[in-house]
Amino acid sequence: MTSMERVVAALQGTAADRRAFTMTLSLYGAKLTSCPLTEYYTRPEKYLQGQIAVAEQCRPDILFTPFALPLEAQAFGSEIFYLDKSPPNIKKPFIRNPADIGKMKMPDIDRDEGLCYLLSSANLLADQFKGTVPICGVLTSPLDLPAIIMGVENWLEILLFDRVKASAVIEIMSVFFVSMANRMFEHGVTFIAMAMVFSNPQFLFEKTIVEFVVPALSAIFAKVNGPIVFHHGSMPIAGCLPLYRCLPNIAGFVLDQRDDLVEARKIAGENTLLLGNLEGPTLGKISPALALEKARKILENRKSDAHFIFATSSADVAWDTPLETITGIYDLVETYRGDHVQY
Amino acid sequence: MNIEESKKALFTAIMQGEREQANGLMDDYAAMSNYRTAMMDVMEPVLEEIGSQWNKENISLAQGYIAGKVAEDLLLKIHIEQKNDAAIPVEKGQIVLGNIEDDFHSLGRKLISIFLQSAGWRVIDIGNDVTAAAFVDKAVETGARIIGVSAMMYTTAENIKKVREEIDIRNLTGKIQLAVGGAVFKLRPELTQEVGGDGTTANGFQAPRLCEELWERSIREVPL
Repeated sequence: MTSMERVVAALQGTAADRRAFTMTLSLYGAKLTSCPLTEYYTRPEKYLQGQIAVAEQCRPDILFTPFALPLEAQAFGSEIFYLDKSPPNIKKPFIRNPADIGKMKMPDIDRDEGLCYLLSSANLLADQFKGTVPICGVLTSPLDLPAIIMGVENWLEILLFDRVKASAVIEIMSVFFVSMANRMFEHGVTFIAMAMVFSNPQFLFEKTIVEFVVPALSAIFAKVNGPIVFHHGSMPIAGCLPLYRCLPNIAGFVLDQRDDLVEARKIAGENTLLLGNLEGPTLGKISPALALEKARKILENRKSDAHFIFATSSADVAWDTPLETITGIYDLVETYRGDHVQY
Repeated sequence: MNIEESKKALFTAIMQGEREQANGLMDDYAAMSNYRTAMMDVMEPVLEEIGSQWNKENISLAQGYIAGKVAEDLLLKIHIEQKNDAAIPVEKGQIVLGNIEDDFHSLGRKLISIFLQSAGWRVIDIGNDVTAAAFVDKAVETGARIIGVSAMMYTTAENIKKVREEIDIRNLTGKIQLAVGGAVFKLRPELTQEVGGDGTTANGFQAPRLCEELWERSIREVPL
């Protein structure tokens, strides 16, 4: 089976030759190709080279467009800075005072350098892997992007205390997100994934989520021309999956490493695609043997779950993670035989 | 309402995100005494309880934020009240607070500042993107025995090592205690030691207790 067939099998719950597997190795491609991050996150061809190296050496069933969310905020005017071993990050948010949100304008996605880089990278990846490996387009949630344009505090303040202003912000975010997502689909990505922080009851009041967040996401996702995978952000989401199941175009959920997989399956229902839950960013901090042990437990736990993709949770796998850890996990997944596997 | 009823009502109002209702409860309590008493009798114990619930992951960021806002509203009223009050309570010591170089995530720092001030500490907030030298300069200038450094991410938390080095180079080890905090420290508790911190706290609500400990340690190691 190709990776695409394997992932589709997980989506449909049909038999596969082995468990579909992925790790968030967006950053890791730079390490494998010894590419300085100032080039890796600005030149699509460099990013492609990195992901080809990831595909060859780590063999995940899903590849990712650049996991560099601050580039989206940069398009709105936030300042970013580059790091030696991590993706770019926000230096200064564009809006410092909530009174200035009127200054927030929709960027030109055909001209902004960072956005063009994201879209071109998606295009190159899709061309390179031509339907054999699913390409996941990584975008910032329209509910979270304001936080990196104006800072968490300002966005929280608006969400909690000024619904009119919040709606005005979301209107801009909606146009931006739908444009970027649909452009990525035009370029050949298979699905969009986004981390959802300002949608989690561990972050916001449930009433804010029910009254404002879910209706906003519902309207936005309905305009997207393809499937969306809902990523846990940095918090467990199993308990709140029912809040999001009604959202249009949702293809699956990436779970947090702290989520109980059995409970998550019960809550999500039998036919919902679940992904996760090996913590990615800290893999380099544990021994390859311990990483394998954790991976094996997850595989055992989901042994008979046909709608499950083994994946890393949280953010990118860190730069310092030994390649041995990653390839070891691949070898384990490749040889592990779950109950849904077709021999 | 007695103290217990007031605490319960305030806790409930904060949990439900009812800032105005919470402020009203504090106004009612202060009407029987004053805002400083309302802070000590009602707000501080409620913040302690919220901190305890936060550690059990029963509190959302929004609830913590509302708690900070209500405490901030109350602090403002105390400042206004104290301008006309001869019996201003003695403040605890000074603490220099800021986000480390390259870090611009100020929400946690601002909440901690509020919780420390609520507990009587004098906070000298020097903002975002602060260099190690600027932290130590300000502490020396103001006589602060605690520097509180906040960082949200691992990449910026590593810059805190420079503050440790700056304290040590200037022979201020022990006298100036280095408190560290931010989201990344919750995810990676071992980071406190890695960056040379003298202490951290699981959440902002418990920052006053940490500062009591660090202040005592500083006095013990380098007496006044």
